[in-house]
Amino acid sequence: MMDEPVPAKAVTEDLASGHLVQRYDRELAGLRGIILDMGQRVVEQTRAAALALIEGDAAQAYRVLDREPQIDYLSLDADEEIFRVIARRQPTAVDLRIVLALFRIASDVERAGDKTVRIANQALALGAAEPEPKEGPDEVPSAELRVLLRGLEEHARGMLEQSIEAVARFNVVKALGVFENESALFEASARVRQHLGQDGAVGLRPDRILCLLTAAHALERIGNHASNIAEQVIYVAEGKDIRYRNREILIETLRHGHAF
Amino acid sequence: MSTTVEEMQQRSNAMTAAELAGGTESRATVGDVTVADPRMVCRDVDVWYGAKQAIKRVSLDIGKNEVVAMIGPSGCGKSTFLRCLNRMNDTIADCRVTGSIQLDGRDIYDRTLDPVSLRAQVGMVFQKPNPFPKSIYENVAYGPRIHGLTNRRAELDELVSTSLQKAGLWNEVKDRLEQPGTSLSGGQQQRLCIARTIAVSPEVILMDEPCSALDPIATAIIEELIDELRVSYSIAIVTHSMQQAARVSQRTAYFHLGDLIEVGETNQIFTNPRHKLTEDYITGRFG
Repeated sequence: MMDEPVPAKAVTEDLASGHLVQRYDRELAGLRGIILDMGQRVVEQTRAAALALIEGDAAQAYRVLDREPQIDYLSLDADEEIFRVIARRQPTAVDLRIVLALFRIASDVERAGDKTVRIANQALALGAAEPEPKEGPDEVPSAELRVLLRGLEEHARGMLEQSIEAVARFNVVKALGVFENESALFEASARVRQHLGQDGAVGLRPDRILCLLTAAHALERIGNHASNIAEQVIYVAEGKDIRYRNREILIETLRHGHAF
Repeated sequence: MSTTVEEMQQRSNAMTAAELAGGTESRATVGDVTVADPRMVCRDVDVWYGAKQAIKRVSLDIGKNEVVAMIGPSGCGKSTFLRCLNRMNDTIADCRVTGSIQLDGRDIYDRTLDPVSLRAQVGMVFQKPNPFPKSIYENVAYGPRIHGLTNRRAELDELVSTSLQKAGLWNEVKDRLEQPGTSLSGGQQQRLCIARTIAVSPEVILMDEPCSALDPIATAIIEELIDELRVSYSIAIVTHSMQQAARVSQRTAYFHLGDLIEVGETNQIFTNPRHKLTEDYITGRFG
């Protein structure tokens, strides 16, 4: 799947460089650097929040909460840098698309970071909740649910990681990879919901089910943010706004280098 | 038949190679050079200065009530092309223009056409304001008088007043019409030159970097004026300011080494140009 032809410019050029004014290159690189830094931190936050939830590791949950403000501060830095580039350079064409896209990407990364906090909070709530009655399961989440949650987390984090890699060089192939993982993400999320929705089968109290559902939904949303980021990568590289487009047609079109 | 950007880039690379080998072939223009309602129609225009070809098979329409911006690096041929549109190049020895340029369906290089009356129909505003060393009134009245539009004082007064109003200068000069045009500020002088052009009832106004000698405030006033003038005239403007092209024009044409590389809606050119040369130039990647 990954070795099919794609437009050459999408994988070979760094679209943000090559200005006569080299400082402009450095400004765009600096801006992208901030957002890549944010992205990597949120990937790590996702991993830690999922550990807290699945393994009941409260220390990981507190670490997520501690580290969250750093991501918020970075998003403020990104905003400031974006305003500065616009004011100083009045970007046009691909540069304008880069700046607009990075503005939107920074917002998606920051919101993905917020989801990790939500997951960590649910993990702490699960740990603090009163023990299940005797007839309930020995551990929360159960071994079966842990497998399902782990699958969901791997898809969500994988998509986020891939989308951030796509931003690093505005790489269309990696962005398409994110879209291709969407259905697996939705299926993994549906499996968790289905499991928790079984009538009495999991033997959990409603407040715990609610915590787990909230956390699972947050994981799915991290995957959605990754898709939004990938859409912006396509916007930069191809000059087309593909939000709300049919994914299957889009992937097919881009993979074969057709105009769309 | 549609052509992909990759194909066009390959073609442009091939042309660069041909040029290096000493060829003078023209490059195909990306985008539609025609408009639905043209005032001027230029087809396959070549311009030679002696043995040097300055413009290569350029085709471009200028529509009614539109502003077309011509951009490109120095020496790309944009001013040369602009000067073809009212035969200003006739005054240059060794300059040869071929191809076809029509104004309202009539060939402007027709031998029977008087270039002086053509230049009334297709007026020009230059980079540096160049008022005549006469009064403000005479600067505007001179054209209508020599073109025989009117000789009656009352009509001339009316024409001078209307032209100065259209050029947005009336309120600033109405009480000192007898003072020399050169006594005005740079921006006012440029608007006086625009009033002078308007006074002979042109159909097209050509502007060759009309704001490059002006400060930002005078520039903003001229840009506002260009937008107002578009209602009555067709305007072709050469500018080195990308932002100005983006602000004032509806269509933009990018020239490079005598070729018209790309033409398109200004919004498209400045957000998603189709040719790599256009993108490199407007984003400051062009060496």
